[in-house]
Amino acid sequence: MSKHNMSDTLTWLKSAPGLSIVISVVVAVAATIDAGPYLMVNMVVTGGMLALVATGLTLMLGVLNIPMFAHGEYFMIGSLTAYYIFTPISEFILEHPDSWLVTFGPFIAILGALIGGAIAGAISEKLVFGPLRRRSTDNWVMNSFLLTVGLSVLLVNLHQLIFGADFKGIVGYWQGMPISIAGAYISLDRALAFIISAVIVALFYLFMTYTRTGMAIRAVSQDITGAEIVGIDIEKIVLLTISLACALAAVAGGSLLFMYPSYPTVGLEPLYMAWFVVILSGLGNILGAVAGAFMVALLKVITMEYVGAGWDFVVPSALIMLILIFKPSGIFGSDVRGVLDK
Amino acid sequence: MEPTTNDLNMNLFDRALDRLCLTPIGLAGLILLLILPFIPPFNQEYMLRWLIYCGFVAAMSVGFDLTAGYINIVNFGYMAVAGTGGYTSALLVINAGLSPWIAMLAGGVSSAILGLIIGMISLRLRGIFAACLSWFFGLAVMGLAIKMVWLTRGPLGLRTPRLFETESNFPFYFLIIILVYLTYLVCKWVVRSKMGLAFQAIAQNMDAARTSGIDPVFYRVFNFTMSCAIAGVLGGFYAHFYGILTPDMMHTSKTVEILAVAYIGGRGSLWGGAVVAFPFIFLMEIVRSTLSHLPGLNLVIYALVLILVMIYYPGGFSYFYDTHIRQPKNRALRYFLNGREAKV
Repeated sequence: MSKHNMSDTLTWLKSAPGLSIVISVVVAVAATIDAGPYLMVNMVVTGGMLALVATGLTLMLGVLNIPMFAHGEYFMIGSLTAYYIFTPISEFILEHPDSWLVTFGPFIAILGALIGGAIAGAISEKLVFGPLRRRSTDNWVMNSFLLTVGLSVLLVNLHQLIFGADFKGIVGYWQGMPISIAGAYISLDRALAFIISAVIVALFYLFMTYTRTGMAIRAVSQDITGAEIVGIDIEKIVLLTISLACALAAVAGGSLLFMYPSYPTVGLEPLYMAWFVVILSGLGNILGAVAGAFMVALLKVITMEYVGAGWDFVVPSALIMLILIFKPSGIFGSDVRGVLDK
Repeated sequence: MEPTTNDLNMNLFDRALDRLCLTPIGLAGLILLLILPFIPPFNQEYMLRWLIYCGFVAAMSVGFDLTAGYINIVNFGYMAVAGTGGYTSALLVINAGLSPWIAMLAGGVSSAILGLIIGMISLRLRGIFAACLSWFFGLAVMGLAIKMVWLTRGPLGLRTPRLFETESNFPFYFLIIILVYLTYLVCKWVVRSKMGLAFQAIAQNMDAARTSGIDPVFYRVFNFTMSCAIAGVLGGFYAHFYGILTPDMMHTSKTVEILAVAYIGGRGSLWGGAVVAFPFIFLMEIVRSTLSHLPGLNLVIYALVLILVMIYYPGGFSYFYDTHIRQPKNRALRYFLNGREAKV
């Protein structure tokens, strides 16, 4: 029995997912030893944020076949909501330094971001995706993609028009001493941002795997007609999926407000990165997206450390293109057929 | 091109029009564009500047439509490709002392090479994945332009000599109109030939196309290369018109602008984007300059138009034109809109 497991592990190690995960872990450890533990901390925090945005993107692409270009804008909505909720709270905290809001105020802001994102997602489904789906579904992927391009431009410029283009940020959510782990100081904000994203991704995974609604979502992603036949309300599932995906991006924006102040085009960077993740990990499962998120975060952090700031688009995208040439379906993905496949 | 049945029962004028891929209304439009800078409100320099930008977007959208409309792949790094052409051209003029005219063509060649590379590496991907690949490629090229400060001066911008040694915008305007028309003509010739059929066959069903003996590898790479070469030449024009080149020109949002115009104009028509660009971009510029206390309003309108067109009229303007305007009862009007039609 144990021998059998052994050979299974070996095969997995030789496969693309195994190989890439092992390489990333080795690189991460080597870089941490070389440059210091803060690199690992940065990677983990960025990876957690990316995992949230990328799972949302995977969900949209996998379930609804919408290649979401506007996903960064829900990140922006999340950070904006969190900012406008947290600003009065922090003023209140200044006057009453020992109220319960000192600890729980930030959670309220992040929860507000989550709800804001979900509502924004539902509104965009009602106003934008729903009408398109009802009118025609041929050439759906391309049409919906262009629709999200329009949506992205719209949301960015509405932000600029209504709230102005200046940076709306905060110094930090939680005051207090940074935690020290193995010689690296991690601010409370970063640690909690990572914990929040880890908890949410875990909850989301459990939701998709074990609840009836989660199963219904997966059923729709596999076969929409089949799902309709067994009595799943497609409209409801679509609405739920979109607001869930947008809420995931928004909560990432909300919990990282101290790193990314809210301004019109704040969503672009998470969007690029999340697309890197989705293409890299392929249209596979949620776990694939999570693993891919940490890989892309590692790439980004290492590029910043060893090549220099500003190169963090060039090197990751070049590497991802290389991977795509040799493995077009992504590391964890199922089939993507190209011209050369017979 | 071999003589078609059309050619036999046409007079000289119609035949010339047919060869030039114009209808009488198209010719009228072209003449209108050529005399536009002499008509009072448009003869001011700042309006002319806007019109030149309209022309640039129009020509770019035609080149973009060659890939997007015919092989159904959105080249999301299109402005980055154009920027590569622009930078190549500018650097050749500055460092090697070449004439801007030759440098523009060299820019086209460099962009064509880039297009060849993108076309080759995106071969294994389809639809949205190929679009993403070209997008990443564009991001990488833009990142390079920002970071290679010793060559491109990065975000500070590269000063480039202009094509004509005058302050006036008139010669640039006529040049861009000629470029718009030439772009259209070249694309239309390719699309009219057997190659265009092959493009459409590949876009619709690649397996069926392969069964019919069409080699998708060649046609896809050819299409990419050609469309990118056009972008490169136009990028050279951009560089030598504005006189300053920043990596900002390669930004995704600029590609989105081209994309929006091409799709509002109608995919797969080539002329749709060119026709829509002039009034649309011009109006946007007016909104932007008159309501300057509301920054971003023009882009909000822009996005709303794109969303509404995508939902309610995905065929765009050219589809609307073909179904509602093109077939009037009146014979003279019909000739004006369509040119001489083949006798069936």
